Amino acid sequence: MSSAERTVQVLDNYEMDARLWRRGRNALALLALGGWAVLAAGYSSGSAAFYPAYLLAFVYWLTIALGALFFVMLQHLSGAAWSVTSRRVAETIALVIPLSAVLFLPIVFGLPQLYEWARPEVVAADPVLQAKQSYLNPRGFTLRAAACFLIWGLWAVILYRNSVKQDDGGTLELTRAAAKWSAPGMILLALTVSLASFDWLMSLDPHWFSTVFGIYIWSGSGLAGFAAITLVLLAFRRMGMLRASVNHEHYHDLGKWLFALTVFWAYIAFSQYMLIWYGNIPEETAWYHERTAGTWRSVAALLVFGRFFVPFAVLMPRAAKRNLAVLAGAAAWILLMQYVELFWVIMPVFRTEAGLMWIDVAAVAAVGATFALAFWWLLRRHALAPVGDLRFTKALEFTNV
Amino acid sequence: MKEPMVRTGTAAAPQTAEKVSIYGVVAEFESPEALLEGVRAARALGYDKMDAYTPFPVHGIDEAMGIRRSRLGWIVLGGGIIGAVAAVLLQWWTGAVASPLVVGGKPLFAFEFGLPIIFELAVLLAAFAAVLGMLALNGLPRFYHPVFKYSRFDRAADDRFLLALEANGAGFDAEQAAEILKSAGGRHVEVVTE
Repeated sequence: MSSAERTVQVLDNYEMDARLWRRGRNALALLALGGWAVLAAGYSSGSAAFYPAYLLAFVYWLTIALGALFFVMLQHLSGAAWSVTSRRVAETIALVIPLSAVLFLPIVFGLPQLYEWARPEVVAADPVLQAKQSYLNPRGFTLRAAACFLIWGLWAVILYRNSVKQDDGGTLELTRAAAKWSAPGMILLALTVSLASFDWLMSLDPHWFSTVFGIYIWSGSGLAGFAAITLVLLAFRRMGMLRASVNHEHYHDLGKWLFALTVFWAYIAFSQYMLIWYGNIPEETAWYHERTAGTWRSVAALLVFGRFFVPFAVLMPRAAKRNLAVLAGAAAWILLMQYVELFWVIMPVFRTEAGLMWIDVAAVAAVGATFALAFWWLLRRHALAPVGDLRFTKALEFTNV
Repeated sequence: MKEPMVRTGTAAAPQTAEKVSIYGVVAEFESPEALLEGVRAARALGYDKMDAYTPFPVHGIDEAMGIRRSRLGWIVLGGGIIGAVAAVLLQWWTGAVASPLVVGGKPLFAFEFGLPIIFELAVLLAAFAAVLGMLALNGLPRFYHPVFKYSRFDRAADDRFLLALEANGAGFDAEQAAEILKSAGGRHVEVVTE
């Protein structure tokens, strides 16, 4: 089939209104400036809370972007048609990852403030950390992080470029190329997200280890990424974009994904907890002990109910997934729970009591607005949906049984 | 143009209609669009019990026929809840009541170790409820259906779209039903007996 013969159905304006774009840019730039100003004030005042707050904010936004990359590769691998009209938004969120590597630099500079194993005096007094030093050392940490960012960035750019090429006329070769790249990409994503979770999050408690930890973080990341895609599309809908291209049928499917990933997250999170509870070995239980002491216990309970039972019950009925207000609420709630969970994973190492500090909020706003600004800027360079994709018409015609 | 031979004895002869109860009136349509027209015409005149037989799924046929969503989901939910509750009772009663024995220093019953069984039994009974509930709702397996008597039923697996207005619907009248199907473009209209 030659591309000239195909007629692309035009239902929406696939270019963002210039005035809307400028208004969004200005709002995000203002938020970013404010966030960075407060964060800089916190840093220069020598606050010990700066590095943990920054790590949390960075990991939070990065897991969302990685979830979007997971979405893109999954759709290419499965040859899904329903998701084609939503794909450009996901691709653009994932494209922020290569730019985000710059924002990782403060973490590299703050290693001794964040990780026990990066403090020579602590390592000198600790035989366990000495034994782990061949892996847990600043140079190894930085090299592994660089490798992760390189792989994520490469795949985000390759898949985005391939998709954009379709805009001028999709061919079977381009569709196949996307699937071909996604296969090794998915394997590498699984390995690198595991690696990054071990290095950046698990090694905050360098004595503790859990082999399922990588999947645990990845499941939350995928869930948050899908929730972000849903929420961005719903926001676009309110702004009058992609109204016909992404309709109730597509939102219904996104809702199904949020439900499925909620169950998957609970399955993995519980697997980790149950094995450690049953084994009852002090070096393993220490992690949960730290996270169920004092006010942290309430945060743990909030996760059990807020991250599993609430979205599980809310998203189960078909009508809820097709009600866009309910779906938007569920997606926003899931994104909030992703923050609460990472807060619960990271902060007990630094703080004995659970509680949000002003610097946490500033860090989330600063990093988030910067990510969003990059997304906004990248979004305007191409159509809002992969209009040339061979499955585009099929996606428009998609209906649920 | 030659019509295919009608198998003798399959089409309901009018004289037997008094002795044998009528299943319904069946007609053949040329295309999915024509079938949908027939469905809408019958619905407009109050016919609510009908079934369509097509070689492939026809988009919009469920809405046109007024088929409501299956109740199967609720049956599956019930199966799942029964499984979960049964798993709690089973583990609690055997471990903490009937035969209390401390194993590995663990409590006699706890949700921490109970949950895998609760999950598995909920899934198992939900799956059973799905299969058995599906069979109960659609009436399968069955070896015979009156619509097979329609002389051209085999075409439903090939290139024709059949519509059967069933006699157990409210206000069914065989002559009126046949008239509706004919005027909506249906061909080979036949009264089919049980």
